[in-house]
Amino acid sequence: MTQAADRPAMPTRAKRRIPVPGQSPAEDRMLAMIAALASELAVTRERLDSVERLLERANIVDRTAIETFTPDASQGSDRDAIRRRLIAHIFGPLRSDADAQGDA
Amino acid sequence: MTHPMLPATTHDEAAAQLFVRDFKMFLTEAVEPGHRARAERLDPGASSNARVETVYDRLHADAAFRAWASLRRTSQEMLWASVSESVTRQADSLEALAAAAPELGSLTLDPAFVQPAYLNSGDVHLMPGGYAHDDGALLQGAVMDRGGAVYMLGRNGGLMNDVRGHTIVAHIFAQYPDLDPANILELGCGVGTSLIPVASAFPDAQVHGVDVGAAMLRYALARARHLGASVHLHQGDAESPPFPDASFDLVFSSVLLHETSPTAIANIMAQSHRLLKPGGVVVHLEVPNRYDELDLWGKIRGEIEADYNNEPNWKAAISADYRALLAQAGFTDIAVGYQAATSTPVRDAGGFSDQSMGTFRSWFVASARK
Repeated sequence: MTQAADRPAMPTRAKRRIPVPGQSPAEDRMLAMIAALASELAVTRERLDSVERLLERANIVDRTAIETFTPDASQGSDRDAIRRRLIAHIFGPLRSDADAQGDA
Repeated sequence: MTHPMLPATTHDEAAAQLFVRDFKMFLTEAVEPGHRARAERLDPGASSNARVETVYDRLHADAAFRAWASLRRTSQEMLWASVSESVTRQADSLEALAAAAPELGSLTLDPAFVQPAYLNSGDVHLMPGGYAHDDGALLQGAVMDRGGAVYMLGRNGGLMNDVRGHTIVAHIFAQYPDLDPANILELGCGVGTSLIPVASAFPDAQVHGVDVGAAMLRYALARARHLGASVHLHQGDAESPPFPDASFDLVFSSVLLHETSPTAIANIMAQSHRLLKPGGVVVHLEVPNRYDELDLWGKIRGEIEADYNNEPNWKAAISADYRALLAQAGFTDIAVGYQAATSTPVRDAGGFSDQSMGTFRSWFVASARK
């Protein structure tokens, strides 16, 4: 079995991506970022919905407790990872373009 | 129904894949009709000798069309990004599951294999790396299997994606009821979504599949093993399959031809003939449209798919004269038409006619006997 450390990264860009005639790469990129942002928001809302329903079912938490919650160091670090993944995803098109420039 | 090798999803991965599904649905159902209506207003009429090209160019003059076309492609890129991230996360468990599968069938890879030029020129459906990408393991196959299930929106046999395979069996039962194949070959078997249902319909046959991707085939073997199917998979090109003449009683393909090239289609017909024993049957199943029967928007949509979803051979494949191509390859008893889609093929059920029942309700089929 291949170990994670020496596993080659999966390709992220498809070969042959032709421009939409008349559309600027900037607009294409901007639309892609908005779509990614919408996806992140949808995922988050769905997760929040799951959490709230489970909490409600278990009679564990009320809204006031959520408002006053403060993360500890380890929880804060988990949240950093979530936020950085979100940034990498939403602004992925920016990086993809930069990578393509690097390949050229 | 599902199978053990299908990559699972976390809560958030499932939500992201559902977002792609619903975003695609919004772009198709809510946004596309407006552009379709505009295309009809831009139509220069049947007297134009470049009707489709003219309308396609005129549509691009509109920023809203460009934004829609661009976001349509983006939705497809998001599909692969989401699936690839999910597959990469579970790489180790997928490989362990493959290693633990019962030892059924076989895999023959060709380290010197070079993918055909038509695949090398662009990644079909924008799947990064394309069909032939070799990640050294089976991840590209897992990406294709999960991505296919999302892309079809559950309309082609859900997570099994196997209606086309069952429909090929239904066609054989309808048109060649006497066929009892001992040796079967699928050209372009991919992860085996059609190969498994055909193998299940003929449990005593020795079943082979050819495809271009090493990672795809490693995954296909593990997938088949976990489904209890014994299949022999080979890395190769459908234009030069690595088998002697007259090796098979049934040669088939499932939505392969529209991912090839006009030259390849003719070569695949000739190879199908070469590989069959006398009396053997060939079945090629394709998308359920014929170019000359499409309305203006249907043709425009094909151009959009060709340009922005890497489907360059779509028009040639649905315009080809399969009756003539099969005759030219030496076949007789040629049947060209539409087979009703089914998940439960039974003998004496028919279902083959010259009328399409529409997308996902029937599939185009060209078949013949050697």
